[in-house]
Amino acid sequence: MKAFTALAAAELRLLSRDPASLFFMVAFPLMLLVLKRGDSGAVPGYLAMIAAIGGMGALPGLLASYRERKVLKRLATTPISPVLLLGAQLVAQVAAGLAGSALLVVVTIAVFGARAPGDVLMLTTAFLLCSVMVCTLGFVIAAVVRTARGASLIGMLVMFPMIFLSGAAVPRRALPGSLRQIGDFLPLTPAVEALGDAWSGTAALFPLLILAGIIVAATATGAALFRWE
Amino acid sequence: MEAIEVTDLRKSYGDTRAVDGVTFTVRSGETFGIIGRNGAGKTTTVECLIGLRRADAGTVRVLGEDPARRRRALAHRLGVQLQDSSLPERITVAEALRMFGSFYRDGSGWRGVMERWGLRPLAGKAFGDLSGGQRQRLMLALALVGNPEMVVLDELTTGLDPIARRETWRLVHDLKTAGTTVVLVSHYFDEIEALCDRVAVFARGRVAAAGTTGELVARTGTASLEEAYLALEGTDR
Repeated sequence: MKAFTALAAAELRLLSRDPASLFFMVAFPLMLLVLKRGDSGAVPGYLAMIAAIGGMGALPGLLASYRERKVLKRLATTPISPVLLLGAQLVAQVAAGLAGSALLVVVTIAVFGARAPGDVLMLTTAFLLCSVMVCTLGFVIAAVVRTARGASLIGMLVMFPMIFLSGAAVPRRALPGSLRQIGDFLPLTPAVEALGDAWSGTAALFPLLILAGIIVAATATGAALFRWE
Repeated sequence: MEAIEVTDLRKSYGDTRAVDGVTFTVRSGETFGIIGRNGAGKTTTVECLIGLRRADAGTVRVLGEDPARRRRALAHRLGVQLQDSSLPERITVAEALRMFGSFYRDGSGWRGVMERWGLRPLAGKAFGDLSGGQRQRLMLALALVGNPEMVVLDELTTGLDPIARRETWRLVHDLKTAGTTVVLVSHYFDEIEALCDRVAVFARGRVAAAGTTGELVARTGTASLEEAYLALEGTDR
């Protein structure tokens, strides 16, 4: 436990030193909110976007570079298991996303005078599930793509269309019909729904169950395919 | 007492026999050199010693344990410096030492290690900003942060400038004086001669010969370790 706490703290500290992560998880969503003139209807989608940027935009390249630069191999010679590092990465990404999201919600309410979310507990639950889910997808990408550059690129190539088609960056009703249909099959769509429902206070269990199912499936796939070196 | 006993170790990757019947012993407190060309089986042997790989055949005992079965228990007693491994670019020297210290039962002395290895002035510096010699010193310090009984150093000074090499030698000499068992994989004859009590010459996945520099020189009727090595490398075809 001591080792895991130290690893997670170190990973979170490293994340906070990464200008790209800071910008996309904290400053960028706030900029979008200002452009939207504080429209709170867009905020649940932005929360999903913050999580996706961390879990799919940053995590795959980071894990693949740890493998490529033999950081994982070096850890495998210590008494801890390198699996702990993957867990620590996940905790750090979720924590960073939670911080960025909390700031966005507070600004939406305090600066733009929006009403507080209808169900804060469900909103938090939905965010945590969403964040873990995108991290497990990032883990699968790092398992399938060998090089750090490749994993980083594929992560971006998966993440960008997904945040647009799932309703995270723009509302799905603004999309043409065929593109809207693609969104029905994307894992981020139930996350955006769950966050939106919790925000409006009409939380449903079903989207959360779907997220949990994706987490289990992606973790199993990633664990089966991941190579340590 | 023997710190390492390897008997008829074999390991293949596909059709390639990387290690083809390696046998040697290392005594407790000894500094033991492993020398040989690239592909001679040195790194594979080392990876079997530290539990990163499972041998196809043969027995390996390190500090009385089987590394393939008891990797974690052994890892508490073993320090490792791997060939070209690294750390996250933005982690600082002090953070890395503290974090690695948290992995070990006996890792609370990381500040002392930082002090002893002259890393104190670099405490706040990021890994990515360190010079080659500084990185190597940090990686060596990380191998010692758990207060190990034995350290395995793979290509310790490859790529270092002459000053940094001498500095690293001095550090290894300190370990030796403190009674730590050291296994040193190297490409450099002068390094082996300066530091090692005994040396094993690896050739084509086997140990061509093992002994003190004097023994190897006498056995081959040559004048130096380098000439002895070349003679041994040639005889084992």
